[in-house]
Amino acid sequence: MKNYSQISGEISEFSDLPFWKKADVVDLVYVGYGLLIVALVVVSYVLGSFNLLPRDPQDIDLQLMMAPPGTAGRLLGTDFMGRDMLSRLIVGIQAYFLPGLLAILIALCFGTGLGVLAGYRGEKLDTGITYFTNLVDSFPRLVLILLVIAAFKPDIYYIMLVVGLTNVPVVSSLIKGKIQFLKQKNFIEADIALGVPTKTIILKHILWHHCRSLLIIQATLGMAEAILMETSLSYLGFGVQEPTPSWGNMVQSGANYFMQGKFWPSTAPALAILFTILGFHLLGDGLNNILEGKRST
Amino acid sequence: MKLSAIRPIALVLSRELVVTVLLLLGVSFVVFIILFASPGDPFSVLLEGQLSTAEAKAGVREAMGVPRSWYIQYLAWLAGMLSGNFGTSIRMGLPVLPEVLRVGLSTLILTIGSLIITLLIAVPIALYSAVRGTNKISWPLTMSSYVISALPVFWLGYIVIYFFTHKLGLFPIAFGFSSAGQKYRWLYQLLPIFVLGVGNGTISEVIRYLRQEMGRVMAEDYIRTARAKGASVWKHAFKEGLLIPVTEIIASKIPFILGGAVIVEQVFNWPGMGRMAWQAAQDRDYPVIMGIAILAAVFVRMGSLFQSVVYVAVNPRASKE
Repeated sequence: MKNYSQISGEISEFSDLPFWKKADVVDLVYVGYGLLIVALVVVSYVLGSFNLLPRDPQDIDLQLMMAPPGTAGRLLGTDFMGRDMLSRLIVGIQAYFLPGLLAILIALCFGTGLGVLAGYRGEKLDTGITYFTNLVDSFPRLVLILLVIAAFKPDIYYIMLVVGLTNVPVVSSLIKGKIQFLKQKNFIEADIALGVPTKTIILKHILWHHCRSLLIIQATLGMAEAILMETSLSYLGFGVQEPTPSWGNMVQSGANYFMQGKFWPSTAPALAILFTILGFHLLGDGLNNILEGKRST
Repeated sequence: MKLSAIRPIALVLSRELVVTVLLLLGVSFVVFIILFASPGDPFSVLLEGQLSTAEAKAGVREAMGVPRSWYIQYLAWLAGMLSGNFGTSIRMGLPVLPEVLRVGLSTLILTIGSLIITLLIAVPIALYSAVRGTNKISWPLTMSSYVISALPVFWLGYIVIYFFTHKLGLFPIAFGFSSAGQKYRWLYQLLPIFVLGVGNGTISEVIRYLRQEMGRVMAEDYIRTARAKGASVWKHAFKEGLLIPVTEIIASKIPFILGGAVIVEQVFNWPGMGRMAWQAAQDRDYPVIMGIAILAAVFVRMGSLFQSVVYVAVNPRASKE
């Protein structure tokens, strides 16, 4: 199965310029915005885990319900129970950060392994691995996760394990394609002729030198995927449960007040989701354009 | 169509059908394994607290005709499924297959409709920026496609509902599918299709892929030749540059859109497969969610079957690969 999320082309490997001088301004802006979002998420995660918050996210204040953003002491306003939105948004990152990293780790490890096996070791294994990846691709991700939820009632880490596994086909097909492309070049043959151990060829010459940027790009796109999954599941009521905040369940609980014209409690987390996912997407695509070769226009 | 044109299609169709059957067998196996490994099958719930030793439980199992080894259970389950018996819903008490098929149809309408919406938005933008390159018009369009792709679809749904009920006042808030005869019923049914089409999170990817493929074809020699001799460039570029990429992207995005359907059906109360899956996951209604997973996989495989048929119809040489 082809992959559409990331399109790799020829690498301009003979140019001596550093990559930021070869790149388009647009791509640099994308990457800059993405890095800003990553930094914000990481800082907020650290703040959240050390409990360095403007206010207690669980602190109910019935005097100040549905306060608009900019209220004194509550920068982003309050929700329907008078809880501070900013603190809840920061704590909401806890819901997906570590589980998302787990999903990425699984997708990258298994994806790389299968991709190397399929690309480097040839025919028969390739057929088997293609069958496996097509099998995983046959399930709509959310339906598979709902099936797992129905069967095991798992917590978020197990769900993210499934998310990671469903991302394996993308990574493995990219690695496979890359290796098949590299095999047409001479250096692998030269390595074999020189008696370089297979381990060194694969780990150092193929993965480290040629697949590094591809894996970083997949990691950022994987994080976007994980955030989307976690927020969707919390929205559907299967992820983090109230009163623990997650961006998904914040949108959901705020939505009850939507028809009264009170948009903010559900719009604030929705915007957080929007800007964060946008950041990871742009980071991935910008890096892809810069590191993996350029569209011809 | 001439016989020579049908032959490669038949060849590929039969080959792909075999692959599809193998994959669906695999799907059923995965579903079975997940449920087999899950704690608390109905049988152990039945015996809970009545018998203490493992031997006694096994004895009762045997006496009641429950096969012990997993592969016999799998084969029995598979045979039942092939004869149309997907089990009975624990919550509704109805056979699963007719229920799932009934809601599957409305999900199919939702999915295909929103695919059309996605393509209606993506194709013009992709074609424009492939032909004209990045300029003042195509860049903002591409950028906004990124923003739309990152928008959480559930929030978009609420915004749209609010806009149509409050600002336009076209229908009451608690408007459902049951209320027939309302004036704007058709519009209410179009809303979820529109929301899923815009908000399924794939628009930017679709645009990028179509633009790249179209750009590649436009740079081919045969397009230059067509242009030089004054023939229609569009006619020459259509098959390679648009038809094949579009079918490919449709086939590969069906799983995503089915996943998005789960959420949109929830927001809009659309009586589809996704809503039923949600309910089943809440109630741990195994047979229902199993049936839905398998039916969804059938949808996905049909999509990719369709794609390979289109591919070989455009490019008959592909059947010899």
